[in-house]
Amino acid sequence: MSGQTADGLEAYRREVRAWLAANLDPRDDNEPARLRGGDAANLSPERVAQQRDLQRRVHEGGYAGITWPAQFGGQGLTAAHEEVFAQESRGYALPDLGIAGLTTTRVCGPTILAHGTDEFRRTHIPRMLSGEEIWVQLFSEPGAGSDLAGVSTRATRTDAGDWVLNGSKVWTSGAYYADYGLCLARTDPTVPKHRGLTWFGVPLTSDGVTIRPIREINGSSEFCEEFFDDVVVSDANRIGAVGDGWTVARTMMVFERLGGDPDEAPRHSGARELAPDLVALARRVGRLGDPVTRQLIARAHVIDLVKEQLDAYVAALAESGAANPNLGSYGKLAAGTLNPVRASIGLEIAAAAGVAWHPQDTEASTTALNYLNGRILSIAGGTNEMQRNGISERILGLPREPAHDLDRPFNELRHN
Amino acid sequence: MLPGVTADQKLFAETAERFIRSTCPVSTVRRVAQREEELDGGYFTEIGELGWLALFVPEEHGGGSPSGQPVLDAGLIAEQRGRYLQPGGIVGSNVTALAITLGGTGEQRALLDDLAGGKALAAWALGDPAGGWEASAGVEVRRDGTGFVLSGAKGLVQDAHLAGWFLVSAAVDGRPALFLLPADAPGLSVEPLAGLDLTHRYAELVLRDVAVPASAVVGQIGGDDLGERLLQVATVLTVAEMVGAIGELFVMTLEHARNRAAFGRVIGSFQAVKHQLADLSLAVECSHAIATAALTAVQEQAPDAAELASVAKAFVGDAAIDVSQGCLQLHGGIGYTWEHDLHLYLRRLATDRVVFGDPAWHRERICRLHGL
Ligand SMILES: Cc1cc2nc3c(=O)[nH]c(=O)nc-3n(C[C@H](O)[C@H](O)[C@H](O)COP(=O)(O)OP(=O)(O)OC[C@H]3O[C@@H](n4cnc5c(N)ncnc54)[C@H](O)[C@@H]3O)c2cc1C
Ligand SMILES: Cc1cc2nc3c(=O)[nH]c(=O)nc-3n(C[C@H](O)[C@H](O)[C@H](O)COP(=O)(O)OP(=O)(O)OC[C@H]3O[C@@H](n4cnc5c(N)ncnc54)[C@H](O)[C@@H]3O)c2cc1C
Repeated sequence: MSGQTADGLEAYRREVRAWLAANLDPRDDNEPARLRGGDAANLSPERVAQQRDLQRRVHEGGYAGITWPAQFGGQGLTAAHEEVFAQESRGYALPDLGIAGLTTTRVCGPTILAHGTDEFRRTHIPRMLSGEEIWVQLFSEPGAGSDLAGVSTRATRTDAGDWVLNGSKVWTSGAYYADYGLCLARTDPTVPKHRGLTWFGVPLTSDGVTIRPIREINGSSEFCEEFFDDVVVSDANRIGAVGDGWTVARTMMVFERLGGDPDEAPRHSGARELAPDLVALARRVGRLGDPVTRQLIARAHVIDLVKEQLDAYVAALAESGAANPNLGSYGKLAAGTLNPVRASIGLEIAAAAGVAWHPQDTEASTTALNYLNGRILSIAGGTNEMQRNGISERILGLPREPAHDLDRPFNELRHN
Repeated sequence: MLPGVTADQKLFAETAERFIRSTCPVSTVRRVAQREEELDGGYFTEIGELGWLALFVPEEHGGGSPSGQPVLDAGLIAEQRGRYLQPGGIVGSNVTALAITLGGTGEQRALLDDLAGGKALAAWALGDPAGGWEASAGVEVRRDGTGFVLSGAKGLVQDAHLAGWFLVSAAVDGRPALFLLPADAPGLSVEPLAGLDLTHRYAELVLRDVAVPASAVVGQIGGDDLGERLLQVATVLTVAEMVGAIGELFVMTLEHARNRAAFGRVIGSFQAVKHQLADLSLAVECSHAIATAALTAVQEQAPDAAELASVAKAFVGDAAIDVSQGCLQLHGGIGYTWEHDLHLYLRRLATDRVVFGDPAWHRERICRLHGL
C-alpha cells in the first residue's frame, strides 16, 4: 500500500495510471453532457445496470471509497490519494450513477459511516462502493421540508422489536432506480419534535413501498414520491439510537451541504475555460463581439471561479482544524444565489433564441433547461433561507429565531 | 487572511496592526482626511522601518520580505491598511520598487534604498482621466534624438502629492514602456482632484512636453511582461486593501446589529436583518477566498495569475458596493452621518473599485486573456 510521502503518492499515481489505461475507456468528449431535463434525462434500467458494472470494476480495482475505512470496503487512504485519482481519471469514462449515485456516496454513505452499527456498515458500505446498493435520501415529506424535524412518517415498534413504517416521502431524487432509502421517521409523537425521531435504512423493494415519479418543471422525472403502507423494517436497519434521530440529522446536513453541485465540472486549476457553454451560445447567436455579451460571459466566469475558490478556501480552513463546522453553508448559499444568476445570464445572451427554437434543434433548448434548473440548489438540500438562518446563528452568533415548537409535544403542534 | 500563513507572516501582520492602532488609527485618518492634520514624513520612515516598503527590494538595497513571498507579505500589510483606511497609498511605491528591481538601470537602482526606507515615495501613473488602464492611455510619446517627449495626462494617480517619483506608463511606437520621472521634471505637474474618497487623495498627472532621457526608461520598450506584472501586483494589492476594508465594515455592522435595540429586541434578532447579514458575510468570505487565490497566483507567477487578478478585482469591486450599501442600510440613520466612520469606508471602497481597473474593465480583460 502506498504511503503518504511524495514518493508514495508518485508510486500511487503510476499504479492508478496503469490501472485506468488497462480497465476504463477514454471519455468521449463529443458525447453531449447529460442534461437534467426532458424524458431523455431519466436513466434507463439498461444504463443503470451498465453503470453498476462499471462501478463494480472500479471497486474491485481498489479505487472506490479511496478515503473510506478499509474495514468497510474502502481503501483507507488520504485525500491526497483521492486527488491523484481524480486528476488521473479525468480523461476516462467513470461510472455515473446519476443523482442517486451522488446521494449514495456523498450523503447516505458518510452518515451511515458515522452512525451505523459495525454490522450494518460491514454489510452495506462495501455494497454502496461496488454499485450494488444505490441509496436515496428519504427526508422531505409533503408536510415538512425545511422543517425537517417536523416529519410525520411514523415508525412503530412491533412486539418482535422490529418496526412498521407508515407515511409518505417526497422529492426523492433518483428513487425510481434506487435500492435503499435513508429514512427519517417519527418514533414518538408525544415528545417535543426533535426528540421523537429515528433513522432507518429502508429497502425500497419491501412490501408496502410504492414509488411514483413526479414530473419536474424541466419535463424530466428525476424525483419521486414514496408511500409506505405497513412496511416492516428490521431493527437491524435502524441507524443511531431510538429517539436520537436529530443528532444523526445534524451530521447528515453537514454532508448534504458539502455534497456540492452535481452539475459542477471537476476543478482544474491553471487551465480554466472561459464559461464554455456561454461562449458557444454567444457564437451560435452571433454575439461574440457584442460588448454587453462579453461582459455577461465574464460575469459568469467570475461566478464560476469565485465559487470554486470559496469551496477551496472553506476546505482549507476545515483542514486547518479550527474552523466552524457550519462553514459549508457558505458554499451552499453561494451556489444557491449565484447559480440562478448564471442561468439568467444564458437567457440574456440567447435572447429570442433562448425561448423559442425549431423542434429539431436539440442544442437550442439547453439555455432554457439551464434556466429551469437554475434554482435547484437554492431549494434542494436546504433552501437559501435555511443557509442564511444557519450562517447568522451558528457562524455570526446572532440570536436564534423565536421558536414555538421546541418544548411542546409534536402531536400538539400545528403542522401540515 | 491566508489559511497557510507562516509564523513570520503572522508576526509581520500583527506588528503592522499594532503600529497602525497606536500611530494612525481611524480617528487620525479622519483628521488627515479633514485636513486638520497632515501625514508627516515620519509615518513613512516608520513604515519603512517596519518593512512595508522594502518587500520588493533586493537585500543589497535594504530590502527583503519576511517569508520570501513578497506579494503575499504585501497582501497582509494591504489588508491591515484597508481595515484601518490607512492614508498615503503605498501600492505605487511598492510597484515602482518592483519595476526597478526587475528592469531598472544601475542609476535607477540607487533609488531603491530610499524607496525601501520610506525616504522617497513613488506613484504609478497608469490610467488616463477617462478610465482606461492600458499603458498607452492618456499620454503620447514622441521620439526626440535618443530621448523622448511625453505629453498628455494620467488620471487617478493615488497620493501623487506625496510622491517624489512617478512611474509613468505610456506607449512608444505602439509598444508599452515605463518611464521613471522625478516629480520636479520640467513640464510635469500634479493637479489635485476633488473626490469621493477622503482617505486617499487623487490627482491628475499632467505632462506638458516633458523631455525625458533614454535613461529614464525602466526595462525594455515593448517589454510587455514587466507592465503586465506590475498591473497584476497593483491589482491584487488594491484588492487586498479592499478586502480588509470590507471585512472591517462588516464587523462594525455586525456589532451594531448585536447592540442596537428596537421593538424590545436587538435588531440582529430580526430575520430580515439576519438574512442581510448572512448575505453580506457571504460576500466577505467570497472576497477573501478570491483575493487569497489571486495573491497566491500572482506570487507564484502561475499561468492563471492575470486571470485570477482580474477575476478578483471584478468580484471584489462589485462586492464592495454591495457590502457598503448593505452596511449603511443596517446602520439606519446613524450610518448617514459624517461623524460615523462608515462613510469613510464606503467612499474608499467605491474609489478603490475603480483604481487599477473597474469591474467592467477587468471583465473585458478576462475575455481578452482567453482570446475572445
Ligand atoms: C430538485 C430537487 C431535488 C430534491 N431532492 C430531494 C431528495 O433527494 N430527498 C429529499 O428528502 N428531499 C429532496 N428535495 C426536497 C428539498 O430538500 C426541499 O424542497 C427543501 O428542503 C425545502 O422544503 P419544502 O419544499 O417543503 O419547502 P418549505 O420548507 O415549505 O419552504 C418554502 C419556502 O419557505 C421558506 N422557509 C421555510 N421555513 C423558513 C424559516 N424558518 N425561515 C425562513 N424561510 C423559511 C423556504 O426557504 C422556502 O423559500 C429536493 C428538492 C428539489 C427541488
Ligand atoms: C436623510 C435622513 C433624514 C431624516 N429626516 C428625519 C426627520 O426629518 N425627522 C425624523 O423624525 N427622522 C428623520 N430621519 C430618521 C429616520 O426616520 C430613521 O433613521 C429611520 O426611521 C430608521 O431609524 P433608525 O435610524 O433609528 O434605525 P434603526 O431603527 O435602528 O434601524 C436599523 C436597521 O434595523 C432595521 N430594523 C429595525 N427594526 C426592524 C424590524 N422590526 N424588522 C426588521 N428590520 C428592522 C432597520 O430597517 C435598519 O436597517 C431621517 C433619516 C435620514 C437618513
